[in-house]
Amino acid sequence: MSDASPNSSVSNPIADVNSLVRGFERLGYVTGPGLATAIYLGMQLPKPLLIEGHAGLGKTEVAKVLASLLRTRLIRLQCYEGLDISSAVYEWNYQKQLLAIKLQEKSDQTVEEKEKHIFSKEFLLERPLLLSILEQDAPPVLLIDEIDRADEAFEAFLLELLSDFQITVPELGTIKARHIPYVILTSNRSRELSDALKRRCLYHWIDYPSFEKEMKIVRARLPRVEEELASQVVRVVQAVRHLDLTKPPGVAETLDCAQAAVSLGKDRFDAEAFEQTLGCLAKSMEDVASLRAAGIEKILSQSN
Amino acid sequence: MEDLKPNAWAWQPDRLAGKIVAFCRFVRSNGLSGGMQRTLAALEAAKLLGITDRQTLGFALRAVLCSSSEEWQTFEHLYRAFWFSQDDAAHTMASKPVNATSGRARGDSLVLVGLDHGNASSPRSEGKMVSGASSQQRLKTVDFSEAQKTDLADLERLALRLSHQMSARLSRRLKIEDLGNHVDLRRSIRRSISRGGDLISLAFQHRKVQKKKLVIFLDISGSMNLYSLYLVRFAYALHKHFKRVHTFLFSTGVVDVSDVLRARSLADALRKLSQRATEWSSGTRIGGSLRQFNRAHGRRVLTRNTVFVILSDGWDTGAPELLTAELQTTRQRVQKLVWLNPLLGLKKYQPITRGMSAALRYVDVFASAHNLESLLALETYL
Repeated sequence: MSDASPNSSVSNPIADVNSLVRGFERLGYVTGPGLATAIYLGMQLPKPLLIEGHAGLGKTEVAKVLASLLRTRLIRLQCYEGLDISSAVYEWNYQKQLLAIKLQEKSDQTVEEKEKHIFSKEFLLERPLLLSILEQDAPPVLLIDEIDRADEAFEAFLLELLSDFQITVPELGTIKARHIPYVILTSNRSRELSDALKRRCLYHWIDYPSFEKEMKIVRARLPRVEEELASQVVRVVQAVRHLDLTKPPGVAETLDCAQAAVSLGKDRFDAEAFEQTLGCLAKSMEDVASLRAAGIEKILSQSN
Repeated sequence: MEDLKPNAWAWQPDRLAGKIVAFCRFVRSNGLSGGMQRTLAALEAAKLLGITDRQTLGFALRAVLCSSSEEWQTFEHLYRAFWFSQDDAAHTMASKPVNATSGRARGDSLVLVGLDHGNASSPRSEGKMVSGASSQQRLKTVDFSEAQKTDLADLERLALRLSHQMSARLSRRLKIEDLGNHVDLRRSIRRSISRGGDLISLAFQHRKVQKKKLVIFLDISGSMNLYSLYLVRFAYALHKHFKRVHTFLFSTGVVDVSDVLRARSLADALRKLSQRATEWSSGTRIGGSLRQFNRAHGRRVLTRNTVFVILSDGWDTGAPELLTAELQTTRQRVQKLVWLNPLLGLKKYQPITRGMSAALRYVDVFASAHNLESLLALETYL
């Protein structure tokens, strides 16, 4: 597993925890040693890494950055309610199969030969999970996003894949992974995941960042934002998180808000700018109302 | 940490391994999940990282041993308690749970705090014979507030059996309703091959009906004293027979007791319960409790196919506006909101308690819960 990156011109980005932290930061993702240790262990043990946390704190981004750090392919499975095998693992190309059957009508192949033909790889549509174990060159990063949205039955199926890394297609036989993918699962905690799944995974909880860390993130992601403006925005967002909102703003909202302030030509994040960018921070009518009610001046004065 | 310098670890791998194993046991005895596999993974992680500093070891153990944000928070505390105390202290602590973090008071009594007739529940009465049919019929309709101590064991048995029947009936009913179909192209094509590719017989897919999820919100305040004892047992029986149930106790605050009610024996569950919930027989703030529930657990346990069951008499000392607003929030997240009220069994009772009348607007079913029969009617609301 450790030869995942044969690239020797730069130092191996996953040699140890510190080089992971540096690698991530080079790609604009500010991470602490805690998350880096979890990622490192996930790759070395190897075990899937389950990342939980509120929305907009960069859970999905971890997988994307990891893939580009390793210069490997990112395969993403977005989960949703009703996700089934045919959209997660594989599907046969029915239209093509029907055409092929018609074309074969006049041929003198036996039924077995015909069957073998239309159930060959040529007619197989690979979906993310199958793709992830078919990868030939290097282990890909498999991102299973928002696993809490899929139903329990799918979770059970996933367990099987995550322990054996093989998939059985009845018509083709069992396909075994040549390279075991690096698996990252994310969850918003909209429901409790099964114990069996959790037991197989390493766990990391992403919390809201501290002021210093959030500043670092803003500077890394939006280098063009003035230091002064950035620190004002971050301070306001940090204070807003302490208000009792139904959907407290994440880091994504901070970045949106800072970007919006710049686009509006602001150099100070004052009451006017706050009002204009309110939509970046509050994502429901009630939250907008309670932000206004809390008093923009009050939030600003608290945060200054 | 004074006697455990980082260097000492690096040079004494045997000792570190022992300490990690001890730590894994320590966190398990303090409520973190996981077994031997986790311990092995922890050792492997330590070996891989070639641990030379405490911090990295902490992060590695955290990633391996935790599996939810609650455990994540507990871990910080346990980690400090174990690794940052003196060597000897750490070893003695390894064998017994830290009370502050587990949040469970020590108590050997089986009696639920504040429930004076709870002692009839002790396992001693388990050897009793099941009464005849007529007696069972009587038990099914007897008001809980008038039930005799001696009836308790029989009531328990009856509740368990009836709720078992109820769950079996529910699952059968779901199957019959399993209608609606789509053509399954994959199977259809497979079948057609033997007929030269002509689709003669189609294969169909059926929609799978998801079983409903049950969330029970049980009032244990003083005014419910006569009933909560039975209702807790009822909740236990439901946990035994339904897969997807959550139970929360509330009075002035909310406690999640789902894990406790999943205990193998009722006596076990009751003992743990008396340790967990501290506010038996206190005042009621339904609105505030519901608010706390919605914030802390709502997103996790409430789904579109959830039936939310409130078991309360509706005596609320909080503001009725708050209750109304929070009920509305809850209602938006669930499929059905059922309020079972023990007082409804009293013939002259009208829902006039302050909290109740404001709440009724968001309640789909408002029914009584004063005896077993009325509780079992829950089946018809699901």
